[in-house]
Amino acid sequence: MQIVSGGVTDLGRVRSNNEDSFRIIEPLNLFILSDGMGGEAHGEVASSLAVETVERVCATPKGDSDVTLAGASSENWSPQTRLLQNAVFQANFNIYQSSQEHPEQRGMGATLTAGWINGNKLSLAHVGDSRAYLLRTGNLQQLTNDHSLVAEQVRRGIITPQQAEESEMQSVLLRALGAHSEVDVDVDEFNLFPRDVLLLCSDGLTRMVTEPEIAGTLQAETDPEKAAQKLVDLANERGGLDNITVIVARLQDESKGWFSWLRRDSGKRD
Amino acid sequence: MAKLSLMFENKLMKEVSIGDRPVTIGRSPDNDLPVDNLAVSNYHARIYFEGSRLVVEDLDSLNGTFVNDLRVERATLHDGDSIWIGKHHIRVDATADTAIPWETGRKPASAPKINETMVLDTKARRDMLQQAAAMGERSQFSPGRVKMPTLIVLNGRVDHKEYVLTNKLTVIGKSPMATVRLRGWFKPQVAAQISQRDDGYYLGTGAKIPSVNGSPIPGPVRLNDGDLIEICGVRMNFVIRE
Repeated sequence: MQIVSGGVTDLGRVRSNNEDSFRIIEPLNLFILSDGMGGEAHGEVASSLAVETVERVCATPKGDSDVTLAGASSENWSPQTRLLQNAVFQANFNIYQSSQEHPEQRGMGATLTAGWINGNKLSLAHVGDSRAYLLRTGNLQQLTNDHSLVAEQVRRGIITPQQAEESEMQSVLLRALGAHSEVDVDVDEFNLFPRDVLLLCSDGLTRMVTEPEIAGTLQAETDPEKAAQKLVDLANERGGLDNITVIVARLQDESKGWFSWLRRDSGKRD
Repeated sequence: MAKLSLMFENKLMKEVSIGDRPVTIGRSPDNDLPVDNLAVSNYHARIYFEGSRLVVEDLDSLNGTFVNDLRVERATLHDGDSIWIGKHHIRVDATADTAIPWETGRKPASAPKINETMVLDTKARRDMLQQAAAMGERSQFSPGRVKMPTLIVLNGRVDHKEYVLTNKLTVIGKSPMATVRLRGWFKPQVAAQISQRDDGYYLGTGAKIPSVNGSPIPGPVRLNDGDLIEICGVRMNFVIRE
């Protein structure tokens, strides 16, 4: 399946520093996004280290010096998913190690969300509250579970999603890269359908723009880079309280021809 | 501050106010609220403040502690609640409940600002989640039970009779990649979808608009145990099995 993609990162309107990082490795259809934290621009160090590490491990998997997840999960993940999971695990270790070696970096951390598409299979790995979404036939679905305190409270039935959105504790994370030498990396796999749109974003987008607005923008603008820019602009229009990073990847339609006409959905809505 | 009134058959037996110290209830006379009844354990239950919340805790009693009608191990109390212990009950008279739990009681040393991201370490995280859980709805907590959301097919042409939803996304459609595969001519590749969110399972449109309990959905709707879903001539029951 052919994929077109684009990404934009923006300082926002309030911050003095952009501590988000992202990378699109087109030949691999690998998309990586990281939101850094920690004073004195150390967030930038953490997020770029995170993104670089994931890219390096995924692009050159046979590095012996890499740390690997021992035993790992009991699920039957594909080799690609496992590699991606290992890459994020390695990124965590690198950030942690850096902060150990440079005391001024102590406390720095980052979120990371990465999507890797192979054919029609998406491998997704994440730590933190940067999100991956899928737009399919007009529905925007969040693919990742935020590793935030408020999201955990919603999952446990303690508060409602509405209360979570209004909570003052929204930016409190339960999991991030760099806090410890090891971290639990959440992974998942999805089948992708033609015309699916994958969106990766930092919370600078989702704090400012609602999901229906995101869905509408992605549907209206088919050029991924333009769509990403429109989303960033929207977030800034609303205040741009944080750094904003958006990656959009669109799966093209299957091959044209008279046969696809036969298969076309009746009453199609797109 | 709150007041606890021990009652027996609508007669007030004893009244205590509760502040910083917990109030104990049981048959043994050294309890703050002694209950002279064989159905009551020596040390039956305990009431105390956790932050701004008033909590009742059963102390492994033989016959249990009930808040209104529900047997509990540990529960948050509200003004007007009745705690039943044997044939006695304790009326809770609480002064105004505060809304936001974090403003009083245990707080991290420096409260996180809104725009500052904070990562909780393991102990702080455990404490926070425990405190949050105590403030949640009163209920009998059964951690051992696993919930299995299931679609039971009532009629229509699909490939299985039942589908247990294990994935984040479930596609209903003709596509070979769909979980619930529709059979028949002219069915859409993606007719509808069910996605798992933090607070439950939501049914959303695809190429078609499904109905829930007879009404077409206006947008993604949360599915409740027992809901009837209809899409492309297929009728299914959404149930949550334990």
